[in-house]
Amino acid sequence: MFEFSFFAQLDWEQIREVLTSLNIGFVKSLEIFFLTLLGSLPLGLVIAFGSMSNIGIIRWFNKLLVWVIRGTPLMLQLIIIYYGPGIILGNNWWGSGATGRFIAAMIAFILNYACYFSEIYRGGIEGIPKGQYEAGEVLGMTKSQIFFKVVLLQVIKRIIPPIGNEVITLVKDTSLVRVIAVYELMWDGQNYIKSEGIIWPMLFTGVYYLLFSGLLTIFLGWLEKKMDYFKV
Amino acid sequence: MAILEVKNLKKSFGELEVLKGIDFSLEKGDVMAVIGSSGNGKTTLLRCINFLETPNEGEIIVNGETLFDASQKENASESDIRKKRLHFGLVFQNFNLFPQYTVLGNVMLAKELLEKERPDYKQNKKQIKAEIEAEARMLLDEVGLSDKLDFYPHQLSGGQQQRVAIARALALKPDILCFDEPTSALDPELTGEVLKVIKSLADSNMTMIVVTHEMSFARDVANKIIFMDEGKILEEGSPEDIFENPKHERVREFIGGIGAI
Ligand SMILES: Nc1ncnc2c1ncn2[C@@H]1O[C@H](COP(=O)(O)OP(=O)(O)OP(=O)(O)O)[C@@H](O)[C@H]1O
Ligand SMILES: [Mg+2]
Repeated sequence: MFEFSFFAQLDWEQIREVLTSLNIGFVKSLEIFFLTLLGSLPLGLVIAFGSMSNIGIIRWFNKLLVWVIRGTPLMLQLIIIYYGPGIILGNNWWGSGATGRFIAAMIAFILNYACYFSEIYRGGIEGIPKGQYEAGEVLGMTKSQIFFKVVLLQVIKRIIPPIGNEVITLVKDTSLVRVIAVYELMWDGQNYIKSEGIIWPMLFTGVYYLLFSGLLTIFLGWLEKKMDYFKV
Repeated sequence: MAILEVKNLKKSFGELEVLKGIDFSLEKGDVMAVIGSSGNGKTTLLRCINFLETPNEGEIIVNGETLFDASQKENASESDIRKKRLHFGLVFQNFNLFPQYTVLGNVMLAKELLEKERPDYKQNKKQIKAEIEAEARMLLDEVGLSDKLDFYPHQLSGGQQQRVAIARALALKPDILCFDEPTSALDPELTGEVLKVIKSLADSNMTMIVVTHEMSFARDVANKIIFMDEGKILEEGSPEDIFENPKHERVREFIGGIGAI
């Protein structure tokens, strides 16, 4: 009896409308998530090699960059990258539209995550014993053969767990873009507090994050398993 | 003609002079044991011969061809150095197998990469690969590992890993195979199987340089021994010379000390 009346009170029309709206926000969140990975995973490798460079100025530039980016909040970086050009240079590169805000957000995210990834890559590369390189050398392999045929897979195996941690963090960090008014999942949820006085859509966004990070966790676990056939 | 001549080899790390002029020569089939206490440059000597370190002075000559001459300051290209390297093989103290490859894969990898540079590789790919694999299987059979072809290094004992490493080095058919304390990372009960393999290589006329602390092995397998002390060869000779009639007090003490352990 109780259950019946509980469901009777549900406004199915409203639920459908809310979910449709949240889905749109979620797609935006996914877009931020995947574009960030697409940009930052390779850029991180460039920064990693930069911070291991033999050329002092390149090394120090990259180390400085990593220090600044990892030492300050991502939210602050978003704000500076979006508002900075307008305030400091008196010239708002990003224009006033949603596209400009989105691009600014992506630059901040890619740069931020690339710096975190670069440190993971660097640790992974530097953790490979010197003996692996030397064994390749005395067997007459070229430097690039040694990197691609001997070292790379070992590095990948080592870095999957820490990269996975960052990826899970990124799922939740996507919600930060709202500080420069890029509308994503949580923004949509929160809107219902203002517009209709209902709080559950905002709380319900948590389910999206949980499901998505759950799927990623399963995928990352599978990937780790795939690499279980050898030990480094 | 000597298969290997090393002349006046010198190597410093900054201020520290580790090799102070090493001279020796080997004939085909010679097995030379390098002995001496810790820190006297034995590893550095092998690393110089295998182009892992660049000597500051001296020459390395193989079959009459000068592979290295410190006085000739031409900048050798990477591919030149690789060719020169292939005259030598090196077996490391801690094996350094490639963990993501099987036993068979470890032995085949370098050879496969090398053969890819052959002009006829594309046409005869299948046949070339089959040859490399057959060769690798034969070598692994020789070191007694036919039943472990598909194992990964972490699934093997230290002694088995070291035997894979020996097969891997042999796959490139080096003129001279070098060993840097090949058994000192192994439990005592596993050293025998590795030493046996090295002994059988000696019997098949392989030219070898073995840095070792296994005095009985040096005595039984080597036909030539050098005793290194402070970056120099203090004494060299046949096992009888070194073990029965050492000229230097230091050599006598060293052998006596090791023998006592
Ligand atoms: N890359 C390097 N940089 C600086 N010093 C080095 C380097 N490699 C070796 N040395 C030094 O050179 C000396 C000789 O080292 P080496 O490893 O050749 O000795 P070893 O005879 O092989 O000793 P062990 O029996 O302990 O293996 C040591 O004092 C060592 O610290
Ligand atoms: Mg040594």
